[in-house]
Amino acid sequence: MTRAPMLGRFRHGYVAPAVLLVAALLYAPFVWTAYLSLTRYDGLSSPEWIGPANFAELLGDPALLTSTRNTLIWVAGTMILPVGLGLLVAVLSYDIRGGAWFRVPFMLPYALSGAGLALVWSPVLSHGGIANALLGVDTAFLQEAPANTLAMLLVWTWQQVGVNTLLFVVGLQSIPREPVEAARLDGASGWRLFRHVIWPLMRPLTAVVVGLALVASLKTFDIVWVLTQGGPGRNSETLAVTMYKETFVASEYGYGSAVAVMLTVVTGLASYLYLRRQVR
Amino acid sequence: MIRRTVLVVLGLVWLGPAYLLIVNASRPATSYDPGRAWAPPGELALFANFATALESADLGASLAGTLLYSVVSPLLGVVVGALAGYTIVVLRLRHGFRWFLLIFGGTVFPSQMLLVPLFVGYSDAGLYDTRAGMILIYTAVNVPLAAFVLRNFYSGMAFSIFEAARMDGASTFRIFWRVYLPISTSALMAVFILEFTFVWNDLIFGLTLTQTAAVRPVMTALAGLMTDVYAGTPVPVGLAAGLVCSLPTVVLFLATQRLFARGLSLGSV
Repeated sequence: MTRAPMLGRFRHGYVAPAVLLVAALLYAPFVWTAYLSLTRYDGLSSPEWIGPANFAELLGDPALLTSTRNTLIWVAGTMILPVGLGLLVAVLSYDIRGGAWFRVPFMLPYALSGAGLALVWSPVLSHGGIANALLGVDTAFLQEAPANTLAMLLVWTWQQVGVNTLLFVVGLQSIPREPVEAARLDGASGWRLFRHVIWPLMRPLTAVVVGLALVASLKTFDIVWVLTQGGPGRNSETLAVTMYKETFVASEYGYGSAVAVMLTVVTGLASYLYLRRQVR
Repeated sequence: MIRRTVLVVLGLVWLGPAYLLIVNASRPATSYDPGRAWAPPGELALFANFATALESADLGASLAGTLLYSVVSPLLGVVVGALAGYTIVVLRLRHGFRWFLLIFGGTVFPSQMLLVPLFVGYSDAGLYDTRAGMILIYTAVNVPLAAFVLRNFYSGMAFSIFEAARMDGASTFRIFWRVYLPISTSALMAVFILEFTFVWNDLIFGLTLTQTAAVRPVMTALAGLMTDVYAGTPVPVGLAAGLVCSLPTVVLFLATQRLFARGLSLGSV
């Protein structure tokens, strides 16, 4: 009687479900979109090959310029506000007594997610809404560009500082004690202690937090879609919103796919450059 | 002292909007006035407001569908991903690392790269606007993370566990199901929670692949409610809907916080 081999015979069958799901629903659509970006396609008749014409059109499209600018505001703004303030709150609170209680106000907004967050802020920011009434001004916060993007960035900040704080606190609490104590004995304190001892020690964690925020902010969609749908006109669109509107509102499937490809290339390139800088 | 002062001031700035939202979501729909948004509500109407939202926007059907997606898809995703991780690490699949990279590579694509083919393909296959279609895409999106965490988890386990079970005559699948899956509960839970949250909060797949209230996920339905906030749905009703629909992920996270931290740290070995 022959025994079954130790490791079994059916091994490929066990990875098959994972591979098939990923191949059929993630890889195949990815390749198909790359192909569609080189076609003219309305979703009904079959795609017509036009080569790189969509990309040539992208370069001269004023709407794309606007959404690129807005996306850059989102990226830069995310680094300064949610990430920067998260770091500030973490550094101020991580080693004082009752620090966790000081962080509660920042954690509360994290309960709301993308669409829910935008939904509850809409009556605050809308013209004639709560913010207008309480501040006694008549500014339409979501009308003018780029002020509307900045207003949404503040909403985003309100929600995101908590989670960044949490990540930074975990990092700060896990840095080794000895170098910090040694620097203290040498008389370092306050800003100098932070700048020259603590900051370098927490760099690996900062790299992760900034990297995640970078990729997420390049793909900003939910909050903009719910609060302004990229408007008024097209002045608050981000690249992800432009992709969605070109495709599913204007039925320009080929052109929308080209925007998706561009977004992917930009995200990939930014991640690559960022990672290379971090690893070096 | 300066540190505490800065923290308290910033904290108050953060609490302001939170207070406004809660107070105005709890106010009876008829007594809302932007100019008196600070005033405490006379009577608590949070759940009455939410009930109105359930009725007028058919949120109940959306919530039921979303609960189904955010439980079933992560469960399937976690088991499929764990099985792949087990096969690659414990069963030492040939070219295992390449298979792993193939599966994990699925996380790299922005969802915008998937939408058009999914929309067209789903329409052709009769999956557009069906619950089965939604479960399928959410499962696929969840597989790579599960495979990643569980592969790491299993590579930290002693091979002798497997050998002993094998000597006793158990099949490889039975060993996975009865030994490896139960041992990795904490890692599985951590991945499940992350994926539950992802599915519950999804907007874009719901926007692209669904149409009717019964299939439409809740965040997509909320986004649709939005235009109504301007067009006559009372503000307290919209606020209550936004708050209450966000609760499940918070409750799940708070209830499992410790398990969550432990699961992820085990997974990162």
